[in-house]
Amino acid sequence: MKPMLSTELDVAAEPAAETAKIEVRHLNFHYGQSKALKDISLSLPARSVTAFIGPSGCGKSTLLRCFNRIYELYPRQSADGEILLDGRNILDRSQDLNLLRTRIGMVFQKPTPFPMSIYENIAFGVRLYEKLPKSEMDGRVEHALKRAALWTEVKDKLDASGLSLSGGQQQRLCIARTVAVKPEVILLDEPASALDPLSTAKIEELIDELKDDYTIVIVTHNMQQAARVSSKTAFMYLGELIEFDKTEKIFTSPREKRTQDYITGRFG
Amino acid sequence: MAEHTVASFDDDLREIGQIIDGMGELAGTMVGGATKALLSADVALAQRVVSDDIVMDERQRELDSRAITLIARRQPMADDLRSVLGAIRMAGDLERIGDLAKNIAKRVGAVGENAVPRDLSHSIEGMAHLVLEQVDDVIRDYAAGDAAALTRLRASDESIDARYTAVFRELLTYMMEDPRNITACTHLLFCAKNLERIGDHVTNIAENAYYILTGEQLPPNRPKRDETAAA
Repeated sequence: MKPMLSTELDVAAEPAAETAKIEVRHLNFHYGQSKALKDISLSLPARSVTAFIGPSGCGKSTLLRCFNRIYELYPRQSADGEILLDGRNILDRSQDLNLLRTRIGMVFQKPTPFPMSIYENIAFGVRLYEKLPKSEMDGRVEHALKRAALWTEVKDKLDASGLSLSGGQQQRLCIARTVAVKPEVILLDEPASALDPLSTAKIEELIDELKDDYTIVIVTHNMQQAARVSSKTAFMYLGELIEFDKTEKIFTSPREKRTQDYITGRFG
Repeated sequence: MAEHTVASFDDDLREIGQIIDGMGELAGTMVGGATKALLSADVALAQRVVSDDIVMDERQRELDSRAITLIARRQPMADDLRSVLGAIRMAGDLERIGDLAKNIAKRVGAVGENAVPRDLSHSIEGMAHLVLEQVDDVIRDYAAGDAAALTRLRASDESIDARYTAVFRELLTYMMEDPRNITACTHLLFCAKNLERIGDHVTNIAENAYYILTGEQLPPNRPKRDETAAA
């Protein structure tokens, strides 16, 4: 007699191996004589969200800032090792930094709109790399603001100053500005830590929408946020990568005791 | 294990653990009392078991309330999350063990004073002893963090199933030998089944406890020896 329930489970086929968008190999970073990152190696999958968590000073923002080499704006900061973006080492001296930063955008903890109109905040970055007729620029601005879930709130006041927006809106404006130059990777350094809960929720919803098209890396102190938005999480401590795994594994049954102690609030 | 930075978090977890310990102890008392009442026709003892079930139910409600509050307030992660969710599940199983013990106790009057033949009494007593041992062991092994013991305990449910099959056949024999035994033996059949179900709930508790301790699920297939369907 045929069983009422099939004994063959609908087991999904093994997921295809993730494609690495960014691959870090044996990365070390120094602030002067002080070593802030120690032999970091990990692969960030394409079109997904990876979270970096860890106590203050663990190196998570330092690692983030290596991806677009923004540390080079400051003296006595250096990185060695390899960071491969689509297989090419971006730490190589031959890498064009301007080109790199069109491919890898960044949003900071404190919203940083330019002292310009909302429209110009978006168009300014595009004009650095592309010469577009007005109609196309209008379309690009509208597209970016829609992708940042800000269009309906500002479409009737594009000439208003970006500084006139609320904190949450300013942060979404910064995300729109990043998206406008069509990056492949978006770096978010505690993007919601200065925002109220509702604005935070809107940012998280936005991340969820963007992840289908962009590789996103987020640094956050909010572990629940990391658990909500990311598919993979890296826990760092004192400049080392302690554990890197699927987010659900990290937050339900981490392999390392230090990871468990941190996420359960036993230290840090 | 290191304590939480926020000490009251540890207090909350400790209180939930204490409720589980208490429920485990009460479950053992109820199973032991119900079985003794059944075999010695002790109606007063049976009544105490029935009353204990009210306490068991209250404890489950209290645990649920505390666990939900903890989840809302603390957003537990990793082992903390597993232990809270596991406690909710274990409380459910312990509460059902209480219900099953109560159901045994409620049949004491119906079985009657002289209706349990000695051999059958030994069989049921042997089965009950095994079940009671497991009820006591499972909470103790969890509290001791002994994942290996929990795996063994889960596997030993097979022996309870085997005892139940034997008691089932014995009861059928008595009923076939003398129709005057049917009423009492039918009640005893239900009691034996309740003991077997208690064993199943202990297995659930062991599986949950193993998951809490290790973060891994035990394989789904475990040995079963309940052959009454083919009897």
